[in-house]
Amino acid sequence: MDMVIAENLGKVFPTAEGGEKRAVDGLSFAVGAGQIYGLLGPNGAGKTTTLRMLSGLMAPTFGRASLAGYDVTEEPSQVQRVLGFLTANTGLYQRLTGRELLVYFGELHGMDRSTALARADHLIDWLGMAEFAELRCGTHSTGQKQRVNIARALIADPPILIMDEPTLGLDVLSNRIILEFIRRERDEGKSIILSTHYLDEAESMCDKMGLLHAGRLVAEGDLVSLQKHTGEHHLSDIFLSVIDAEKTTGAFA
Amino acid sequence: MFLRRRMITIYKKELTEVLRDRRTLIAMIVVPIALYPLLMLGSIQAVTTQGASLEVEDFIIGVISERDQRYVGWQIMRDTEFLERQQNGSSEKELKQFPKPLKNWKVSQFLSEKRLRQAIQDRVIQVGVVIEEVAPLDDPSRQSRIVLFSDREEIRSVTAMQRLRSMFVRMEERTRDERLRLKGLPETFVTPFEISSVNLAAPSSVLGQILPLILILMTITGAIYPAIDLTAGERERNTLESLMVTPVPVLDIIVGKFLVVTTVAIMGATLNLGSVTATVWFGGFNEIIADEGGGVPIGKMGVILLCLIPFAVLMSAIMIAVSSYARTFKEAQNYVTPVILAVLIPGGIAALPTTRLEGVMLVVPVGNMVLFAKEMLLGVPIPWWQTATVLLSTTLYASAAVAVAATVFGQESVVFADAASWKSTLSRKFIKPTKRPAVSLALLLVALLFPVWFFVQTAMQPGPDEDAAAVLRGTSTWMPLLFVVLPYLILLYAKVDRKESFQLGSPPLGGMLAALLIGVSSWVIAHEFSVLQSMVIAVPEELKGSNERLVEALRALPIWQVLIVLAVVPAFCEELLFRGFLMSGLKGAAGKWTCIITSALVFGVFHFMFIKLPVTAFLGVVLGYICWQSRSIWPSMLTHFLHNGLLAMIAIHPKLLAVVGVDVEAEATHLPIYIIVVGVMVFALGITIAILLKRSKASALRHGLIPST
Repeated sequence: MDMVIAENLGKVFPTAEGGEKRAVDGLSFAVGAGQIYGLLGPNGAGKTTTLRMLSGLMAPTFGRASLAGYDVTEEPSQVQRVLGFLTANTGLYQRLTGRELLVYFGELHGMDRSTALARADHLIDWLGMAEFAELRCGTHSTGQKQRVNIARALIADPPILIMDEPTLGLDVLSNRIILEFIRRERDEGKSIILSTHYLDEAESMCDKMGLLHAGRLVAEGDLVSLQKHTGEHHLSDIFLSVIDAEKTTGAFA
Repeated sequence: MFLRRRMITIYKKELTEVLRDRRTLIAMIVVPIALYPLLMLGSIQAVTTQGASLEVEDFIIGVISERDQRYVGWQIMRDTEFLERQQNGSSEKELKQFPKPLKNWKVSQFLSEKRLRQAIQDRVIQVGVVIEEVAPLDDPSRQSRIVLFSDREEIRSVTAMQRLRSMFVRMEERTRDERLRLKGLPETFVTPFEISSVNLAAPSSVLGQILPLILILMTITGAIYPAIDLTAGERERNTLESLMVTPVPVLDIIVGKFLVVTTVAIMGATLNLGSVTATVWFGGFNEIIADEGGGVPIGKMGVILLCLIPFAVLMSAIMIAVSSYARTFKEAQNYVTPVILAVLIPGGIAALPTTRLEGVMLVVPVGNMVLFAKEMLLGVPIPWWQTATVLLSTTLYASAAVAVAATVFGQESVVFADAASWKSTLSRKFIKPTKRPAVSLALLLVALLFPVWFFVQTAMQPGPDEDAAAVLRGTSTWMPLLFVVLPYLILLYAKVDRKESFQLGSPPLGGMLAALLIGVSSWVIAHEFSVLQSMVIAVPEELKGSNERLVEALRALPIWQVLIVLAVVPAFCEELLFRGFLMSGLKGAAGKWTCIITSALVFGVFHFMFIKLPVTAFLGVVLGYICWQSRSIWPSMLTHFLHNGLLAMIAIHPKLLAVVGVDVEAEATHLPIYIIVVGVMVFALGITIAILLKRSKASALRHGLIPST
C-alpha cells in the first residue's frame, strides 16, 4: 500500500513584482511502506515546498496529496498524527534539556507523560544521546542537536518520516549514526522521504529517487533504472544529463 | 476559554523556558526589586533635600538706597525676634512647620533700580526690594508700599522672593494688629468673614489618579519580552515549523502562549507593585508623599492586584497579536512601540481627573480598565452593570486579539518568511474559498463593531424632548448596514461561503414548529425573569422614564412601522450577525455549548441595557440553541421576531392582554398563574421539539459538525 501519495501537486507564490512563481508544478509520486524515497534536486527546485505541502504546513494551490489515506488539506491534524517531520535547519528550544524537549513533543502528539518518558528513554538509548540528554539544548554541538531533532521527529513512532537534509553539516560519526538509524526505521516498515544534496548518500540509501528541477519531476526510478535510462553511471551525471535533456540550465549545488 | 490538555502542556513548557531565561528574570525580578527602590529612594531624597535646603539657605537681598538697606535689615531683625519668640517651647515636629528666619541674609545696596534688576537677572543676587513709602503706625489712612523683584525662571530667586514676601506679610499683620489695638477695635473689624473649605478626597487621591497608568506601564513591561520571545522568537530560532507540524491546533498553541505571557505580566506587575509599596512603606517615604495629599493606599493593594488581572489579560493578548506578525525579534520590537503609544492615549485620557467611567468610556479598550481601577482606588461606587460592561468588553477585545494572533501565527507567509509575502495573505487571488469564517475574523469583526455600535446607540440616545421614533428609525438604518451588509462584504472578499456562514439553508419543519412555540411563549418567561430580577436589583428611574417616552412615541406610529422597527429589523439583523456570522466562526474552535453561550453573552452585551443583560443572554442561549439544532437561521429569526413583536404589541396596547385579565400597566408584577403555566408548557414543548431534532449522521457530516473519522 502506498503510504504517501502526491497527485499533480502544485504551489504558486506571488512574486515581489506582482507576478506568480510556480515553485512546485504538478508533482506526482508515491512512496510505499518500508521504502526510502529520495527527493533530489538543486536549490530552489521545490523540494522543501513539496515537503511542507505533504506535512500540511502549506496549502497546495492545486492537486492533492495524502498520507496514510488522509488528505493533507482536508485533515491536516490526522496527517500530522502519522507523520514525523524533520525540517531543514530546524532549531531546538535552547532552555530545555534534550529529554524535556522529547517529552514535550511526545505530549503534543497526545502521548501521556509516562509513555512519552519511556519512549524518550528508548530513543536516547538508541541514538546514543545518553551523555547529553540532560544538558540544555543551547549547549549541544551540531551533531548532538541533529540527533535530538531526529528523536523529536520520531517521538510518537509515526509510520511516515519526512527528512529534509538530515545530515547537513554533520561530521562523519554523527552522519553514520543517523544514516544507520534511518535504514533501521525503513527495515521496520516505515515510509521515508529523504531530501538531500549529498548524491552519494542518496545512492546508497534510497530505494527510489525522484529528480526535481524547477518544480517538476524530471526523472524517477531506482538507481539501476535511472542508469539505464540515461546511460550514465553516477547519480550526479545522471542528474546533469536529465537536466540537459530538459534544455534548461541551472547550477547544481 | 476551555482549557485543553495540550494547552496546559504548552503552558508548562513555555513557562519553564521563560523562567529559565536570564533576561526575563532580570526584567521581572532584579529590576523591580533592586532598581525601583534605588530610583525611588534617590529621586525622593533629591527632591526633598533640595526643597529643604532652599528653605534654610541664606540669600542676598538687593536694595537701592541706604535708607532701604537699614529698613530691611531692621525688619529682618524684628521678624527674627518675633519668630524665635513664637517658636519657644514648640516640639521638634512643630518646629519643622515654622518659617525659617531670614537672620543671616545679606542686604546689599545697588546704585540704581536698573543695576538691581540686572543683578537679579545675572543671578548675582536672588531678590530685590524697593521701599516706595513707609506709613507711620498711627495714621490708619496711609499705606506702606513695597515692591519685590525676582526671576520667575530661577527656583532660588522664587524661593527667596516667597520667603521675603512672607516676612513682609508677617510685618503687615503685626502693624494691622497694632493699629486695631490703638483704636480699641477687635480683630474681626478687618476680617468680617471667615471662609474655609473642607477637602473630602480620600488620602489616596493623588496616587489613585496616577497609579492605574503606572500599572499599565508595569504590565506592558512585563508582557513585552515574553510575548515577543514566544512568537517572533520561535520563528527567529527556527523552532516554529517543528511546532506547527504537531497535531495541535494553532489556537491551542496561541492560547497556551498567551496564558504564559499573562502569568509573567501579572507576576512582574505584582513584584513591581510589592517593591514600590515596600520601598515607600519601609523607607519611611509614606509621610513625605502624604504631605502632598495622600500616601500609598496599602489597604487597597488587594484591589489593585485584582484590577491587574484584566489589564494583564488584555495587554498580553494585544502584545501576542502584534508580535505574531513579526518574523524577528527586532521586527516585533518595531511593531510593539507604536502599539504601546496607542495604548497609552486612551489610558492617559482615562487618568485625567475629570474623566469618569460613563458613556463611551465604558467600552473604550484600556481606557475603561484604567478608569475602573482609578474609580476603585478613589472609592467611587461602581454599579454592577458597569463592572460587567468593563469586564465583558475587555474579555471580548482580549479574545479577539488572541484569535487574531492565532490566525496570524499560523499564516503561511508568517511561518515561512522565505516562501511568501503578505501579498499572498491579503491579495484576494490567493485566498482559498472556505465554508465558514475563521474564528479570528468573526471575533475581530464583532469586537470592532462593539464600540462602534455603542457609539451609534449613545449618539442616538433620545433626550427628554427628542423624537424617540426618529431614534428607532435611525437604529433600523444602521443595524442592517453594520450587522448584515458589512459582514456580508467581508465574507465576499474573503471568499467565505455566505449561505453556510449565515446558516441560510432551509430549516426542518420541526425546527420551524419549535421556533413558533417558543416565539409565542418566550415573552412570558422573559417577563417573569425580569420581575424576579427586579426583586433583587431595582430598575433605575431614568430607565423607566426613557421607556415611557419610547412607548408614547410608538403609540403614535402605525402598527406596521412599529413591527418593522422593533421586530423585523432586529430579528433579521441580530440573528444574521450573532447566530449566523459569529456562531459559524466560533464553530471552528469550540464545541456546541461554548458556541451558544459565547454568542449569547456577546448578544447580551451588545444591548448595552445592562439591567437586561441576564434576560437577553438567556434569550441568546435559547435562540442559539434553536439555530444550532435546526442548522438554519430562519427558525431563530422567527422566534426572535415573535418575541420582540409580542412584547412591543403588549407594551403599546395593554388592552390586548386585559382581555385575558392581565394588568400589564403595573410593570413589576407577576402574570396570572394560568398564563405562566400555559406559557411555560408551550415553551417547554417547543424546547422538547428542538431537542428531538436529531440530525442524521450524514447530514451532520455534510455540515462539518462532527469529524469524519
